[in-house]
Amino acid sequence: MMFSAAKGHKVVDTSSADTVGTVSGFLVEPSTHSIVALRVKKTETGEVIRWRDITAFGSEAVTVPRAGVVTDTDAELEALGDRARELVKKRVLTSSGDELGTVKDIDFDTETGALTTFLLDGAPDVSADRLIGVGSYAVVVRAEPHGS
Amino acid sequence: MRLMRTSEITQRAVVTMAGEDIAQIKDVVYAADGGSVSGFTLAGRGLFAGPLKEFLPWAGVSALGADAVMVRDESVLASAPSILEGSGGSAGSAGDVLGSQVLTEEGIGLGTVHDVVVSVDVTGGEYCDVVGYEVEASEGLGTQGQMVLIPLPDTMAASGEHLMVPSSVKDFVGHDLAGFGAAVDRFRAHLEDSRP
Repeated sequence: MMFSAAKGHKVVDTSSADTVGTVSGFLVEPSTHSIVALRVKKTETGEVIRWRDITAFGSEAVTVPRAGVVTDTDAELEALGDRARELVKKRVLTSSGDELGTVKDIDFDTETGALTTFLLDGAPDVSADRLIGVGSYAVVVRAEPHGS
Repeated sequence: MRLMRTSEITQRAVVTMAGEDIAQIKDVVYAADGGSVSGFTLAGRGLFAGPLKEFLPWAGVSALGADAVMVRDESVLASAPSILEGSGGSAGSAGDVLGSQVLTEEGIGLGTVHDVVVSVDVTGGEYCDVVGYEVEASEGLGTQGQMVLIPLPDTMAASGEHLMVPSSVKDFVGHDLAGFGAAVDRFRAHLEDSRP
């Protein structure tokens, strides 16, 4: 699923069938190129849900076992959130120092939270396993062996 | 290998593999013999940022690309004074090389240096070779007033005022970067062949 499509998903508590929030963003760990937590809004209990606390990421809604898994950020997530908040629209640099374009959207696996593909503006897609780092200035991806 | 004018490198962002821009290139510092780049002086990022006291040695550069200078992390930066003193008195920043007169061994002036052309390995590489100068040609080249590229030998004498080159360099002058790499190779092969 694309970040653009996943954003705005309802978060539904399966024990009460209540909507407990709305997905507003993603916290990504560059080293594992996967989503570690969802940023949520319109909640009463906090602002993030860790990926491991999700029951399922469905086509219509994210389900969670109880409203309590929506928590405040801790220091670890805060660090990721600060750096990774604006993945989309960020410039993409290769480890060789060449700019490929800007991130238009990101495709991810709803089963595992693993990022699969970066879609770029005006440039070919980049496989997410090339991800090295996400900083305030750029998303850094491994350079292709013979590319530039 | 990729050829680059050093004027294009200045102001380029220095970016860590974690995606943070930690500085930008202020000036290029050459090794004592002028044949390679020993590192870069740095300025802070942003419109009003001044020079930084840190220095980026070439060994700390992971890659010099078209859009950014990539480094592993902040730890590759060194303090400037020790490095600049360590490379000897004739080490020059770009400011010293630019404007120097290029002289052949016969004492013919070929022109004044406007830019420095370096060759870098896409993957960083052991060193950053200075392969040529962009020169505003004087009479000695027969194309007075034009900007031309002249290839350089591996090593040469540089005083800050003059740069000495073999006179055969005139046969290997280039006009754009695209074909210049080959001209440098031919020139250096020629020097190798004519060595006694």
